[in-house]
Amino acid sequence: MRQDGGVPTPYQPASAGVRGLGAPAAGSRVDGTPGPPAPPQRPPLVRDRSGGWTPGVCGAIARHLGVSRRMVRWVFVVLALAGGAGVAAYLFLWALTPEEDLGHLADPDAPVEPRVSPERRRWVLVLAGGVGLVLVGVALLTPVLGGSLRNSVLLPLFVIAVGAIVAWSNLDEAHRSRWLGGGRGGGWMRLALGLALALTGILVIVTRGQSLTAVWDALLASTAVLVGVLLVAAPWAVRLWQDFRREQVAAARATERADIAAHLHDSVLQTLALIQRQASDAGAVTRLARAQERELRSWLYSGPAGSQESLAAAVTEVAHEVEDLHGVPIDLVVTGDRPFERHGAALSRALREALLNAVRHGRAPVTAYVEIGPSGVEAFVRDRGDGFDLDDVPEDRLGVRQSVLGRMERHGGSARVRRREDGTEVELRLPPLEGDQT
Amino acid sequence: MTAPSGAPAGARTPIRVVLVDDHRMFRTGVRAELTEAMAGSAPVCEFVGEAPDVDSAVAVIRGEQPDVVLLDVHLPGGSGNGGVDVIRGCMGVDSRAGGPVRFLALSVSDAAEDVIAVIRAGARGYVTKTIGANDLVTAIRRVADGDAVFSPRLAGFVLDAFGAAAGEIAEVDEELDRLSAREREVMRLIARGYQYKEVAKELFISVKTVETHVSSVLRKLQLSSRHELTAWAMGRRLL
Repeated sequence: MRQDGGVPTPYQPASAGVRGLGAPAAGSRVDGTPGPPAPPQRPPLVRDRSGGWTPGVCGAIARHLGVSRRMVRWVFVVLALAGGAGVAAYLFLWALTPEEDLGHLADPDAPVEPRVSPERRRWVLVLAGGVGLVLVGVALLTPVLGGSLRNSVLLPLFVIAVGAIVAWSNLDEAHRSRWLGGGRGGGWMRLALGLALALTGILVIVTRGQSLTAVWDALLASTAVLVGVLLVAAPWAVRLWQDFRREQVAAARATERADIAAHLHDSVLQTLALIQRQASDAGAVTRLARAQERELRSWLYSGPAGSQESLAAAVTEVAHEVEDLHGVPIDLVVTGDRPFERHGAALSRALREALLNAVRHGRAPVTAYVEIGPSGVEAFVRDRGDGFDLDDVPEDRLGVRQSVLGRMERHGGSARVRRREDGTEVELRLPPLEGDQT
Repeated sequence: MTAPSGAPAGARTPIRVVLVDDHRMFRTGVRAELTEAMAGSAPVCEFVGEAPDVDSAVAVIRGEQPDVVLLDVHLPGGSGNGGVDVIRGCMGVDSRAGGPVRFLALSVSDAAEDVIAVIRAGARGYVTKTIGANDLVTAIRRVADGDAVFSPRLAGFVLDAFGAAAGEIAEVDEELDRLSAREREVMRLIARGYQYKEVAKELFISVKTVETHVSSVLRKLQLSSRHELTAWAMGRRLL
């Protein structure tokens, strides 16, 4: 019942439905194994809202029972011929089966057929059906007005029911608010059509065997009553609707608040507890506070843009890691971005060494600036230490310097260590990627 | 608040500062820190008022006519735009000294749209709340003098937003949508954590010239219609 409007329905293997439904229903079930559906994990009876122009009852049953959809349809048709049981069952199921947006999950292997505006197709069908029903109604009405065929109660009832269905069909959750609230012309038209049908049916029942003038009087009277009822009920209905919406919004807010509370509890409150217990250790307190700040920040502002595969993300991660190791805050500024590849990996490792060095031997504030542009990558790490004397600490520093320098040179870049009045600055450079893309 | 009366008469009168932040603890902390940092020498600034939300901030600023307002980006009240509302509400208010009231944004927010929005509304600078007391005093003095104050992070935003990191350079200095080569250099050094003094030394120019460049970048930041900037600035207002 998805997007198979005019296209012959391909046989839908039951496993495809199972796979699609496993996720929303069971939640934990992740399977990709085609084959006979396992009976205990039968998908729930849910109609698919995402596609097609029929309510999706047959599709739902087919998915639920794991049988062919076509078979289900035939069963319904046969049942419908057997005294209308099929129709009744269909309507019953339609009314009582919840619907969900299964989207493309349902058949991931099916080619994505460009939708020829399913909305419009649905409208054409509904309109055609409506017009047909009107004709049926009129055909029923004429003989009644003429005085014959008086004994038929069933047919007018049928027309009433169909009218009601046309009016309210598919006015399921999502659509109802949009149509009634948004004032879409089509929705009202359908509603009017359905109402007219239902009214016709009622009139046919009520006025059986009466003259045309009597019918006219009755029509006027009932119209007056209807308008009166509408006028009386409208404000109440509107208020009810607004209350409903308000409750929905409130519920959404409450959920959101609960989420935030849960997050704060897991992160901030825990960290605060840790801080209280380690209050005597200033370093630990700083480290904890800083780590928590970072975590909260990335939660609030969703961190630097880009995926984990980007150089900017990698560099940021390196800085955070060094910060966590030593508890010295690092002010990192990154501009631009590029994909993460081996040269970038080398740069971030060299940057890590430089940052560790700055944190160990320099003084705060340690600042790092990484500029990723079309002319290459430049990274600067700066500390405010006393600078260093090559004679004093040659082994350690030189070793690090060699590893930073050597590493950058191996990857076509360069590194430089500058001694400044109040500290040291390490510069790392990397040429642009060949062809701008790896 | 209570400027030590025994302090030697400085060359200039203290800068009158109003502190706007919705956290009382933070206000107290900043005041204590600054007072401590200025202890011993002539006070650079004095706190003449503080406010916890947009409406009282506007009232206090209109009443006190300070030189500098330290302004949190996120504030309750007003039409929901925090610091931006305060700046808008104080349009045309002059300080007692006669110059315009100047705003220095003080924020924990890292989000580009917050920062850019408050700068575009008219703030003269942006610093993070983790700034040291001495640096904050310097920043206040600089803003009071009509110069701009850029944190490394703001410089990074600017380089990104003007495409300077991607190599876009203005051919004419007056061009609003791009940075000039010199401005880009200055921004890069600030992003690297250099003080203005150090920038000046590195580029062999005077501190005054650095300040001129930074002010010019600030002007571009406020006036440019560059797409990224307006998108950022709009982002917050549309929320």
